[in-house]
Amino acid sequence: MRQPLDTFSTTLPPDKRASVYQSTKATHEKRTKLLFDHFADPNRLRELAGEIKQHTLEHLDTYLPAVEAKLQSNGVQVHWASTADDANAAVLKIMRARGATKIVKSKTMVSEEIHLEAYLKKHGIESLETDLGEFIVQIDHDHPSHIVRPIIHKNRREIAQSFEREGLGVYNDDPQTITRRARAFLREKYLAADVGLTGGNFISVESGRLVLVTNEGNSRFCLAATKCHIALVGIEKLVPRDRDLGLLLNLLARSATAQQLTVYTEFITGPKSPTQPDGPEEMHVIFVDNGRTDVLATECRDILRCIRCGACLNVCPVYRQASGHAYRSVYPGPVGAVLSPLLAGKKFPELADLPKASSLCGACNEVCPVNIPIPDLLLRLRDKGKREHAPLASAATPPMGSFATLATHPTVWKTALTAGKLLNVLPTTLLPVPPLRAWEKNRTLPKWRGGEFRNWMKSRPDVRRKNAQNAQKS
Amino acid sequence: MDLSHRRRPAADRRVQLMATCLCDAFFDDVARATVEVLEYLGCTIEFPEAQTCCGQPPFNGGDWPASRKIVRHTVDTFAGDAPVVVPSGSCAAMLFHGALLEFENEPDLPAVSKLASRTWELADFIVNALGVTSWPGEYKATLAFHRSCHSRGTPSGEAALHLLSSISGTRVVPVGEAEQCCGFGGTFSVAFPNVSTAMGTLKLEHLRAENPDVVVSADMSCLMHLNGLAEKSGSPLRPQHLAQILRDALKNSALI
Amino acid sequence: MRLFAAIPKMSSSRDQILSRVRDALAPLPSRTPLPEWDASLVRLRNSTTPADLWAPFAERLRSVNGTPLASPLALISFLTENNLLRGYCDPALHASLASHFPPTITLSTELDRSRIDDYQFGLTAAFGAIAETGTIILSDNTTSSRLGALAPWVHIAALRRDQIFPDIPSAIAALPADPNIIWVTGPSKTADVEGILIEGVHGPGLQAALLL
Repeated sequence: MRQPLDTFSTTLPPDKRASVYQSTKATHEKRTKLLFDHFADPNRLRELAGEIKQHTLEHLDTYLPAVEAKLQSNGVQVHWASTADDANAAVLKIMRARGATKIVKSKTMVSEEIHLEAYLKKHGIESLETDLGEFIVQIDHDHPSHIVRPIIHKNRREIAQSFEREGLGVYNDDPQTITRRARAFLREKYLAADVGLTGGNFISVESGRLVLVTNEGNSRFCLAATKCHIALVGIEKLVPRDRDLGLLLNLLARSATAQQLTVYTEFITGPKSPTQPDGPEEMHVIFVDNGRTDVLATECRDILRCIRCGACLNVCPVYRQASGHAYRSVYPGPVGAVLSPLLAGKKFPELADLPKASSLCGACNEVCPVNIPIPDLLLRLRDKGKREHAPLASAATPPMGSFATLATHPTVWKTALTAGKLLNVLPTTLLPVPPLRAWEKNRTLPKWRGGEFRNWMKSRPDVRRKNAQNAQKS
Repeated sequence: MDLSHRRRPAADRRVQLMATCLCDAFFDDVARATVEVLEYLGCTIEFPEAQTCCGQPPFNGGDWPASRKIVRHTVDTFAGDAPVVVPSGSCAAMLFHGALLEFENEPDLPAVSKLASRTWELADFIVNALGVTSWPGEYKATLAFHRSCHSRGTPSGEAALHLLSSISGTRVVPVGEAEQCCGFGGTFSVAFPNVSTAMGTLKLEHLRAENPDVVVSADMSCLMHLNGLAEKSGSPLRPQHLAQILRDALKNSALI
Repeated sequence: MRLFAAIPKMSSSRDQILSRVRDALAPLPSRTPLPEWDASLVRLRNSTTPADLWAPFAERLRSVNGTPLASPLALISFLTENNLLRGYCDPALHASLASHFPPTITLSTELDRSRIDDYQFGLTAAFGAIAETGTIILSDNTTSSRLGALAPWVHIAALRRDQIFPDIPSAIAALPADPNIIWVTGPSKTADVEGILIEGVHGPGLQAALLL
């Protein structure tokens, strides 16, 4: 059995691999330069942000009820959704209560997790993506391949063809034209919509402020044109104090897109003010669990610190070779390799290969603005996969039972060292030993020299002298 | 990683050498060079014959029970309190980080922690335990240094680079995308052979960009993978372990 | 399985989530404390705090492709040079600035959604600004129309010198009790198409700040 991500990487067309590689490399390098140009000690900032988030996770039992109370006192209606079904049902209920049928939607990965669009469609509700990348994903019935740059895998020609197909204009692959067409098309849709649906980057327990971090102006338009705001927020998005936002906002945009700040940072406490002509009269926050409490109960809970910046994807050499779709889940890349199998709950075995799709290089942890020890978490999930006998966890991996026996019996080990010299005369490329074949497809094996070092150590003049002295004594 | 608690060697500079299973099987000259370099620095080397492997392959592969068996054997083999020096960043990291993870719920965690607190990767040992600031001898060559990923967060990479740059005659060239992994990753190299190869090929491009005479690393696992790729495609590297460069620099000036 | 069908599903979700959170955290031998941190950690290298913050703000605004306008005169030149002759204007600002405007420029103090693309520019009041990032701060209570500040291609936010904060921590400390505060840092943009930066997506393509 082969590893699916490895196979997928070989099917990736060269131009797609090139787009992914160039984009991620450029963003990563700019991110690093910016952080070190701007701050004396960016790594200290990441550690601190990590501690703040870890503290928050470990105190969700008090913070969740506290933020609920604060939101309610701000005039926000709070809902809770244990499962994806609950979240979808909560959205539907709000729509039905308002007799609403049209949603304009700002980017939120939680909506991908719960398959919101399909559910709403079944119930006669149109939910239109307004972020340019997500809009293109939607019209193509595709999936995002990066958590910040959803169409990193698409080129302008494909987009132009899609726009033509959707009646947005005659084929034109100029990026500016594409953008202007989306602007014009969506503008009408915003104004005709009933509800603006967003996610939430952060939510402050102290003030109840919901923070949205965007560049295009789409979330602003959703909340200026419609009369009702629904925010889908994972339970892990809490931040204890407003002042902690000062740290996280300094890290988020730099880590995600190498900007000091994104164009729009919105701090929303409730429905519009009474004197404001535009905006929601009603605001709802739906706190979504959908497996997060399961993750919280494991030793991998640190992954819930994630602020969805995408820096780990951008630096990951495996992501660069395979691209996002290789991860077969909502969250790709290093964060996805931990989060996706865990959020899958009972379906963990279906994604048990993701934690193995890594050389454990640690570059992800080095760039993570909240200092998540991703390689350690990947290792824990490998242990989990093996213990639970998930087939994908052992696919293409040499079994280690015999190796352990060899490595705990020195005499046998030393014999094997000498015996291994056989490899130098065998046609190893023809041996039916899968790991050997996997190695030798593209690599030569070095010459086997087992026993040579140990013989040299034993035969050195001073060792011989000592042995001779010992022999004389006895 | 906080490695500040490790104690410096005693005045007699007694050390235990962990040769690594890779050097045991393939790279005897690297283990030899390590001995020669440490003895030049006045160390007395004990080589516990019962040693086999640090336990990393099954640990990475997810078979923690198998790995723990091997680590326990290693703890027994390296009994004592002398520093354990190992010419591999990845084996060292297995002992002072990985093992602590897989033993966190085990009753013998204290014994494993004790070994962890005595373990040093070679370059880190030379510079930070023995206080060597500059390497004597001569080695005329353009060097491209590849820092193994397991040295991340440890002093090893900087120590190795420092030593190499200090040798008379060396010119250490910058390597693009230095933070990118070579693609070995232990069992990853055979479970994900296509991605592993693609990563290695990219790394080779960057290492070769300045036409180095030698590609140096403090980890043979990376070099085995990179040179394996280079050789198969018809243009082998001249791969050398840090220990070999240090030893040869001494030899070139008849210091050993 | 729900035994009590009469209880609304929403509250049972709440109970489920909170009890699972408690169960998940109960075994932890200790919990990470909330660290204290000093705002100086996020101070930019080489940062200074000059008495007049308009100049550094204007420089940062330019670096994010925004347009600083140092006076009503500058505003009028800017509008006429760019042929921006029809715009939405905050009624209060209109009262104080109308005298500067030539008759060639038409200002509406009410936004007509049905003609939203007729407004070439929107002129509204800012709550404040941030010098270190070139950010204009808008708030619901000081923005006469959210759409007026968002929909036209050009947005001009009017602010006074004393409304400029030096940096992010000070701006956060001064967040008012307002339902909708927006930090605006330059014109709207996207790099979704092949990583190529395009300005002017759903929001303004030209973002200006006017010093009153």
